[in-house]
Amino acid sequence: MADSHPTLREIGRSLPRLESRAKVNGSVEYIHNLRLPGMLHGKIHRSAIAHGRIVRIDAGAALAVEGVHAVVTAEDVLGICPNPYYGPAFHDQPILALGKVRHVGEPVAIVLAADPHIAEEAADLVSVEYEPLEAVFDEVAAAAPGAPVSHDELRPAGTFTDLKHLAGRKGTNVALETRVRRGDADAGFARADRVFEHTFRTGKVMHAAFEPMVSLAELHGADGLTIHTASQSPSFVRSEIGRLLGWPENRVRVRTAFLGGGFGAKLYIKLEAMVAVCALLVRRPVRIALTMDEQFYTITKHGATVRIKTGVTSDGRMTSRKVETYWNGGAYADIGPRVTQKSGFTAAGPYDIESVALDNYAVYTNDPPAGALRGFGISQLVWAYERQADLIARALGIDPLEFRRRNALRSGGTHATGTTVYGMEVDAVLDRLAERMAWHRPFDRGAGTIRRGRGLAIGVKACVSPTTSTAAVHVHGDGSCAIHCSTVDMGQASDTTLAQMAAEVLGLPTTAIRLIRPDTDVTPYDMATLGSRSTFHMGNAVVRAAEDVRDQLLRIAAAALRVDLAELECRDQAIVSRGGARLTFGDAMRARFAMQAGTLVGVGSYTPHYTKPDGETGQSPDITPFWMLGGAGAEIAVDCETGRIEVTKLVNVADVGRAINPASVERQLTSAAIMQLGFTLFEEMVFSDGQVLNASLADYKIPGLLDLPRDLTGSFVEVPHRDGPFGAKGVGETGVFSPAPAIANALYDAVGITIFEMPLTPERVLRALRESENRPLEKD
Amino acid sequence: MNRFELVEPATLDEAVALLDPDDSAVRAVAGATALILMMKARLFRPSRLVSLRRLQGTLRGVHDEPAGGLRIGALTTLTDLERSDRVRAAAPVVSRALRTLSNVRVRNVATLGGHLAHGDPHMDLPPILMTLGARVRVVSRRGDRWIEMQDLVRGYYVTSIANDELIADVHLPAQPADAHTWYEKFTALSADDWPTVGVAVWYRTGAGRITDARLAVGAATERPMRLAAAEASLIGAAADPASFARAADAAADAIEPLADIRGSAAYKREMVRVHVRRALDKGR
Ligand SMILES: Cc1cc2nc3c(=O)[nH]c(=O)nc-3n(C[C@H](O)[C@H](O)[C@H](O)COP(=O)(O)OP(=O)(O)OC[C@H]3O[C@@H](n4cnc5c(N)ncnc54)[C@H](O)[C@@H]3O)c2cc1C
Repeated sequence: MADSHPTLREIGRSLPRLESRAKVNGSVEYIHNLRLPGMLHGKIHRSAIAHGRIVRIDAGAALAVEGVHAVVTAEDVLGICPNPYYGPAFHDQPILALGKVRHVGEPVAIVLAADPHIAEEAADLVSVEYEPLEAVFDEVAAAAPGAPVSHDELRPAGTFTDLKHLAGRKGTNVALETRVRRGDADAGFARADRVFEHTFRTGKVMHAAFEPMVSLAELHGADGLTIHTASQSPSFVRSEIGRLLGWPENRVRVRTAFLGGGFGAKLYIKLEAMVAVCALLVRRPVRIALTMDEQFYTITKHGATVRIKTGVTSDGRMTSRKVETYWNGGAYADIGPRVTQKSGFTAAGPYDIESVALDNYAVYTNDPPAGALRGFGISQLVWAYERQADLIARALGIDPLEFRRRNALRSGGTHATGTTVYGMEVDAVLDRLAERMAWHRPFDRGAGTIRRGRGLAIGVKACVSPTTSTAAVHVHGDGSCAIHCSTVDMGQASDTTLAQMAAEVLGLPTTAIRLIRPDTDVTPYDMATLGSRSTFHMGNAVVRAAEDVRDQLLRIAAAALRVDLAELECRDQAIVSRGGARLTFGDAMRARFAMQAGTLVGVGSYTPHYTKPDGETGQSPDITPFWMLGGAGAEIAVDCETGRIEVTKLVNVADVGRAINPASVERQLTSAAIMQLGFTLFEEMVFSDGQVLNASLADYKIPGLLDLPRDLTGSFVEVPHRDGPFGAKGVGETGVFSPAPAIANALYDAVGITIFEMPLTPERVLRALRESENRPLEKD
Repeated sequence: MNRFELVEPATLDEAVALLDPDDSAVRAVAGATALILMMKARLFRPSRLVSLRRLQGTLRGVHDEPAGGLRIGALTTLTDLERSDRVRAAAPVVSRALRTLSNVRVRNVATLGGHLAHGDPHMDLPPILMTLGARVRVVSRRGDRWIEMQDLVRGYYVTSIANDELIADVHLPAQPADAHTWYEKFTALSADDWPTVGVAVWYRTGAGRITDARLAVGAATERPMRLAAAEASLIGAAADPASFARAADAAADAIEPLADIRGSAAYKREMVRVHVRRALDKGR
């Protein structure tokens, strides 16, 4: 498609964001700033224990506080929603704890008051008596027979047919188990020259978006409900709230504004069901806004245990691989089963391996729920397979870059799922990495107590499927244009990127296109803003919608100018003919409606083709609309006396199809690298009996400016994708795949130690170093 | 957050009069950067906060003492301290430490008095001020008294300041021209984190030997403290790597490290060893 556009005007330009000025001067709308007349504030009383039966809830003292309007518990919820369990994959999460609690911090009661401080104080006074039950926090232990079980039975959501068979299953914490089988992995190991087996772990981390979660609900007309929410998935919220209330979707309106970051935290239902129920109970608008601290108990990134076994020939060809991954989903499934499955099938990496067996387990534990976090499980897997790739390469005496080239899965090859690979530019990414890292030049590894090393890694993701997007482009009476779509701009520049596409089709400058904020009463359905899918899916829908309305304009112009349709195109803010005739969009509207008025609507939808994988083997001829390949290279300096790692250089390279806005693409890559740098070096939620010991930004540190590598770059390779809008693929997550193993590989290069668990805190590094020198540090 | 009374007296006398010797729910508040965190965590529920923000005069800023040295008002913000030419000339170790003490937003409002009165063992300035021989003047309706910096923090979040007392100012004696000073801050998490270990050193040399030495550690132990054994090991020793390493071992042996999310006790002991040596070396 891109090549049929030899003269692109708006695509491929690093245009500034449409909303930059408004963001800088503070006039941009955030739901966080919304106040409704007569509104009550809700504050949540949360469980103090990890697992237990609720014996009694005493709200007396809370209700006695002057200014408290109501205290809402599960019993009140039942009056509104007889079946108050929600979730995108499983209907397992009660709006408020019902009968039992399954993690520390689980919402048990909501105190409503006009003054948020009163509500907060009273929330502390709710007293709950529990009968504690045994809890389990480790994902491997929780999956074992005999572990304390949190959910009496599995409750898959009806929407996913592939989960139906799980309904009613009892006595297990394994919510979902998925498999991929290609060839005979065990026979492969028997034939291999060498077999390598390792277990890798990643800890739990949190999104830390700057705008904490916030939702408001108000009654609307006689029988409607409006929810204002900082959500990445307004369409899902509408249908799920409709389902919970037993209402048709058209009675629920969900609107968002710009989001102060999302990263996967603000998906599906978070506070929306609570505010909806509260507003219906008290018949007043209700706002619930979390503190940064409460978010640690709301949604996290999966910790994971990855057992990986690989057989290789002595000349460095991987022939057989088995990966067994336990995903710590916490107390409620959220989107965990999808993370497990959709990322799980990529666990063999971007490699061409003859026999592959992949097992993935979505496991309930008594930690706070885990869901999507920028990368959807991919970075946990890349951590394992790219650390192991280096260990194998080094054991065989093969250069790590060369080892990856020898095993790369290229377009035309067959992925472990059986899908023929298209658009996976491994060679181009490796070439760019080698060039940026000056890989073939000698490298100074330092001396004394400061040692230097370098490493690289590549990782792959399959864009989640099946999903669907719809967009509409409106041309108003004066000829001005607006895109109606439910893609949520949370800082990733989707507004500008989508506007560039519509502008390209319509021959307008990007700045002339306006985006309507997602509002389910106004903007069409979109699955959600997640998984790097918007540029591709919504991009295609917007292009189709723009083409639709463009064609309508051209037909009007053909009639008005009495020229052949084939003579006309949209260019330079008008419809122009080859012969030089010109009609503005406003003129066309006047021609069509006989006055300066009316609306033209172009509509476009996009649903990529997809074939559901076989339940037993995970095989599918068509598993994903596009592959995302990301590579990283790191240079580090290790202080051997403290264990502190300084990342001096970090390069992120992505295969993006085509960069619609190169500056935005680079920023996505470097910002993802910074986020992953924190997860790699020091971010970790520290738990004790399910309690988060560092649930605040004072103690859970995220990278600051002083932590950035001196040399931090994002770079991309462009090979237009046949199905992408103008050849583009998504890029929001690609930058998180590979920095962690690249840094850990550099650590090995520098000092020869291997750490199997993220993050690489100075203490872990020093302990491993001292271990390797046979003078271990005392235990504690 | 609970309901409480907020009073904003205009003078130090009024402020002191509003405190209550027997009620720990009545407290002063200066920059509020530390206190608010405790209130949000429900670790502190005030009945009355006595805000010091309207107090003026010598409670703010850095002043020369007639007899030498500096007097620093308790309400001086950490940013003003960081930028003070007087401080930079008298004790560059303080100016330098401030640059990585939390972040600009916190430093712009946090005060020296709040920093010292909080009693948090993870603060950067107490070990430095201990080695510089600083003293703190506290006032109450009962009058003034002096507290040596090393006696100020007595335990984990416990200070020797009474409920009805306020820090008025901090006195920094004039430093001998030949004093070697250094502060080594080690962060295990982000670069702008609290220290995992902070080590301050001060020593003088004559004829190639160390004639006087003060070492203090913060963040590693339940309160900031001087390291007497390490100091003693330095007196009379050459200012060279071997003596520094001996002092580092003495320091590591002497402490009872406090484990927290930033490091186990064993790791902190090791970090004290490394950073005492580095601080002494960099102080040269
Ligand atoms: C995000 C963050 C990061 C930080 N990082 C660091 C760091 O890296 N290193 C570091 O050293 N510190 C760090 N701090 C702590 C910071 O130094 C303190 O919060 C600050 O110095 C406290 O000063 P304040 O004026 O805000 O005190 P307040 O919060 O106002 O008061 C603190 C305590 O002191 C009492 N108090 C205040 N003034 C007086 C007075 N004149 N007399 C008697 N009692 C008084 C109050 O009653 C209260 O108990 C950090 C803080 C934050 C919020």
